[in-house]
Amino acid sequence: MAIGLHERRPDRVGDAMTWLCCGALAVSLVLIVGLLGVLAWHGLGYFWQPRLELLALRDGGKVLGAVLEREEIPGAALGADGVAPTRIRVEVGNRDLTGADFRWIDDADVVARSEPRDAALLERLEWGNFHGFVRSVKRGDETLASGADAWPALTRLVAEKARERESLERLEKGELGALNYALERARLAERKLALDAPPEPERTRRADAIAAETKALHARYEALAAQLAEVRQRFDAETVQLEAADGAAKELPVGAVVRAVAPNALGFGGRVGLYLSRVWEFVSADPRESNTEGGIFPAIFGTVMMVFLMSIFVMPFGVIAAVYLREYAKEGIAVRLVRIAVNNLAGVPSIVFGVFGLGFFVYLIGGTIDQLFHPESLPTPTFGTGGILWASLTLALLTVPVVIVSSEEGLAAVPRNVREGSLALGATKFETLWRVVLPAAAPGILTGLILALSRAAGEVAPLMIVGMVKLAPSLPLDGNFPFVHLERKFMHLGFHIYDVGFQSPNVEAAKPLVFATALLLIAVVLATNLLAILVRNHLRQKYATRSI
Amino acid sequence: MASHLEASARAPERAPRAFGAQPGAVARRRILLDRLARGVFTAGGLGVIASILGILAFLVIEVWPLLTASRVGSAASFVESGAPPDALLIDPSRSHAAGIAYDGLVSVFRLDDGARVIAEPILAADLAAAVALAGDDALAAATRDGRVVIQPLAWDVSFEGDVRRVTPRLGERQWIDLDPARGPVPVFAAARSEDGSAAAGVVADGTVVLVRQTQARNFMTGTVTTSEERRSLESPAPPVKLLFDRAQHRLYAATAAGQLVAWDLTQPGAKPAVVAAAGASPVNALGLLVGDRALVVGHEDGALAIWVETGDPARPERGTAFSQLHTFPRQDGAITRIAASQRNRTFLALDASGGLGLYYSTSDRVLWRGEAPVAGATSIAFAPKGDGALLAGPGRLDVLDVDNPHPEASFRALFGRVWYEGDPAPSYVWQSSSGSDDFEAKLSLTPLLVGTLKGTFYSLVLAVPLAVLGAMYTSQFMHPRLQRVVKPTVELMASLPSVVLGFLAGLWLAPLVETRLVSLWLVALGVPLLALAAGGLWTAIPKRVRGRFVSGSELALVAVVIVAGSLVLATLGESIERSAFGGSFPEWLYATSGARYDQRNAIVVGIAMGFAVIPIIFAISEDAFSNVPGNLTAGSLALGASRWQTVVRVVLPTASAGIFSAVMVGFGRAVGETMIVLMATGNTPIMDWSPFNGFRTLSANIAVEIPEAPLGGTLYRTLFLAALLLFVLTFLVNTLAELVRQRLRERFARL
Repeated sequence: MAIGLHERRPDRVGDAMTWLCCGALAVSLVLIVGLLGVLAWHGLGYFWQPRLELLALRDGGKVLGAVLEREEIPGAALGADGVAPTRIRVEVGNRDLTGADFRWIDDADVVARSEPRDAALLERLEWGNFHGFVRSVKRGDETLASGADAWPALTRLVAEKARERESLERLEKGELGALNYALERARLAERKLALDAPPEPERTRRADAIAAETKALHARYEALAAQLAEVRQRFDAETVQLEAADGAAKELPVGAVVRAVAPNALGFGGRVGLYLSRVWEFVSADPRESNTEGGIFPAIFGTVMMVFLMSIFVMPFGVIAAVYLREYAKEGIAVRLVRIAVNNLAGVPSIVFGVFGLGFFVYLIGGTIDQLFHPESLPTPTFGTGGILWASLTLALLTVPVVIVSSEEGLAAVPRNVREGSLALGATKFETLWRVVLPAAAPGILTGLILALSRAAGEVAPLMIVGMVKLAPSLPLDGNFPFVHLERKFMHLGFHIYDVGFQSPNVEAAKPLVFATALLLIAVVLATNLLAILVRNHLRQKYATRSI
Repeated sequence: MASHLEASARAPERAPRAFGAQPGAVARRRILLDRLARGVFTAGGLGVIASILGILAFLVIEVWPLLTASRVGSAASFVESGAPPDALLIDPSRSHAAGIAYDGLVSVFRLDDGARVIAEPILAADLAAAVALAGDDALAAATRDGRVVIQPLAWDVSFEGDVRRVTPRLGERQWIDLDPARGPVPVFAAARSEDGSAAAGVVADGTVVLVRQTQARNFMTGTVTTSEERRSLESPAPPVKLLFDRAQHRLYAATAAGQLVAWDLTQPGAKPAVVAAAGASPVNALGLLVGDRALVVGHEDGALAIWVETGDPARPERGTAFSQLHTFPRQDGAITRIAASQRNRTFLALDASGGLGLYYSTSDRVLWRGEAPVAGATSIAFAPKGDGALLAGPGRLDVLDVDNPHPEASFRALFGRVWYEGDPAPSYVWQSSSGSDDFEAKLSLTPLLVGTLKGTFYSLVLAVPLAVLGAMYTSQFMHPRLQRVVKPTVELMASLPSVVLGFLAGLWLAPLVETRLVSLWLVALGVPLLALAAGGLWTAIPKRVRGRFVSGSELALVAVVIVAGSLVLATLGESIERSAFGGSFPEWLYATSGARYDQRNAIVVGIAMGFAVIPIIFAISEDAFSNVPGNLTAGSLALGASRWQTVVRVVLPTASAGIFSAVMVGFGRAVGETMIVLMATGNTPIMDWSPFNGFRTLSANIAVEIPEAPLGGTLYRTLFLAALLLFVLTFLVNTLAELVRQRLRERFARL
């Protein structure tokens, strides 16, 4: 039989199975793309302002809101024309007046729809958004503007108030916060004095110093409080008179309005501007309304600072361990076992590290530090409770295997002839390591660090028990001595998602914000990972040509 | 060759010294630096490795106390003259103890030095019997003339600076006439509460007489009126032991024939509510554990058991029969005294041969056993805080320290089926805390283990086929150029934070699945068919068009067909749900089978966690597939096998160990995943394999409970045990996977 002339029998089962395999891969990819798409759609959509529609209802009621979605009424019988009846979900705002942010309205109940140009949306400090119409602006009893003039007057005032609010916050958070901090330190110093009980002249001297300082602080506090009260009174002077769609009147201090928009009057450019200003608020402002509105700046800051602290711990130790394993330790069964153990540690559930961190860092080490150095504030723990330091250390432990493994890979990729060349020229082992091997292995080490960062940024479970809180009153870094407060609790993007999405009282209203937060977190994590992959590819290419 | 290279790499360490080319000082500095570096790296490296492995050690150290035995040791021993107390009571701060002796003398001892601070004869004649009402701070005695006296004790607390000072005081005595015929009452029980007191006793003719005194205070005048209710109760045989519960709802009795009897005092009538045989041996001692539900029964032959009323589903707290919940190994002599802790379900039992035992009911644990320090002890009391006990005998009074930190934990309590008080049958339950103080902690890790395995199972069901088949396709059928795009994309999935997956699963997917369950089934079943259809479609394209694309491009077509087809199927599913299931599958499910549908259930978790596991399994099995040496596949193809035959007969068997290892690593990841299960399940610790119900995993349980667990408590250590289990489980699984992979690598190297 001539070879090659024989026609291959078609393999139908094999072809079918191949297509199934292809299907499996396609499903996996569709799932990824779908997930990212859902996140992007909801997360980016959060900032986009839809038009406000005025709906006249059959029962005579009127609703002003943004129509979010339409669906078939579940469980309803088909209509006479064979079409299922539908309903729309409207974001109505005015939580203080109606008690709910959203409303389902049957399409059949809507008599008329319009988009009034003067419909206003006010973002407030409390109670969510207000949907309605601006009637007039007053200062005390004096009417500043009304009718058509009211809107421009209001927007002007809102911008002015935003500046005033900033200076108020500076006063409250900055100066008053610093004073409070100093007062608390004075109180602790007093307690410490009582605990230390030093001999007499020393005791009186210290007590007098503390008393003098406390007195001076109190005086400054009084002055500041008076100044603050005055500013606050001026801040609350103007009010805006509003009318909701159903005719209900509402009076609001202009200071309570964060942003006033007339969405229907905005052109495309205006809406894009609004979109960008909301994005900026999201990443730069503090949260409002128990985290369900406003920005997530403290969470971003907390995440970055924790990851930064973690890399300070993880980098040197991971590299030292890798260098030891690869360069100094004698290759043998013991090193092999250690390597497997380190490798597998990366697969140990993160919550286990959290439990370890709580027991070891927080309770054992933190508790001991408190007893030795901070007895004056006990029983309130200083280091003996979760904080950013313990969280970073826990994460460092969690990610150190990643750095070790990756650094070892980097070290192993440095060709032997390069080392031998260095040694042959008379360099010591350390000089070879320092000048030749480590620089060559740097991309591998860097890859490990980046992978560790990305893992740390997304990790939540262990941090939940060693230091994250839903709302930290102050950042772990501020202008009060000693500036870096490692014992403080902090906010974190991942925990923010869990907390706002699952623990907040108004999950439905908070959901869009959680989507946006999740999108931000994913963007950060994916970006760091992509960076790691690029660095690794670069490294591989570099050594693919060199190692012979 | 290799050893030669090794030697040449290591030898030059000494090079500078050997060549001696450097001037002395510089060379010495360089050598010193080199040595220093060696020291730093060795110490640092070993330190980091040790600290990593120290995690395991720390977890073990924290868990260890759970397993260690309790200790009962003598703290102080005093010589006492006079008749030994027949009933004893300790004050809440363990500073004083009160006792009543047969001669009718009530004494209060200071436990620091054994001094008798109060000695008051409350009776001229000898007693017939005496008991301590430990929870209500009172001693009670029955006289030889048919009366019962209840002596309350008050512990007045004052502070001198920071020093706490307890001043004992005898309260107002109450007398209850039990037997009008004035005969002795050797078997009696008494109870005392704010509203009134009760006594019951066996009179001369063998019947049980119950007298209840109720005090009512007139709020206007302040006068107290006492009313008395007298009942006679029927018993199958004359009781040898009687016992009230603290609420005075129940009177328990034990007979010489080993029967247990309970009367319901809230109902009129003389008939006992429950009668049960507790064993052949006569009952010698009776005690009630905290919670007033579980009876500790001590027998003549040294047997000890816990009995609880069960059997009435309508009133689970008061049943129709007695069930034996726990038994303990026999003590050497007849049980004479039982003292129950007021803190937890610990109790002490004293036997006639001088043996003393410390037991815990729920965990079936013999916490300690030994010789009672006092020979011929007549009474025993448990300190209210559960940290000590008092033992009195002729001429001696001994204070015992009870070091009993974790009685609730035992292998059986943590992993086995335990019969809890108030349950109709033994079960596996996790319920670590409750609002009430006398709550029986239920610390079975089994429901959590089952939940963990359930979540893992459902996620692997989704992930393993998708990941392994996908990896097979990528490595065997795809052009390298496409591989370079597809592989990192799938692997990038691994870095998605699980909190995001959990959030999407809980808030976006769960409501979607609830309303479109039928569509989901249809899509799941339809996707393979859609893939085949796409294959058909591809072959229908003329070959010269197809040929322009690199192999693997058909993936795009398949994806499009699957998405489009799934949308069609989903719409179809909605109309099926409307027509066949009345518009809502969960409601239909409940109506037809009674099965509950939780919105956050195993299906949702399976999808979300599957998503997290796919990239891990994909990456490792893709590695295994692509590392199969090319000469094997080339050989197979050259022999005329089709591409698929080669993959199944040659590539798959060679890579199978790698795939096994991939599944193992995926399993390890799913077992320990916390945030997804925390957010996408209801976290109810139920044992149930239904895909429509939620569950609670070990990891989520730790996250939920450890912030509230008191440092060093049993719950805290049990959660550490859960962490240790996770650690060991994942470590073993990963090590296994790693070893398999290494073996595979060696084999490939030889091929």
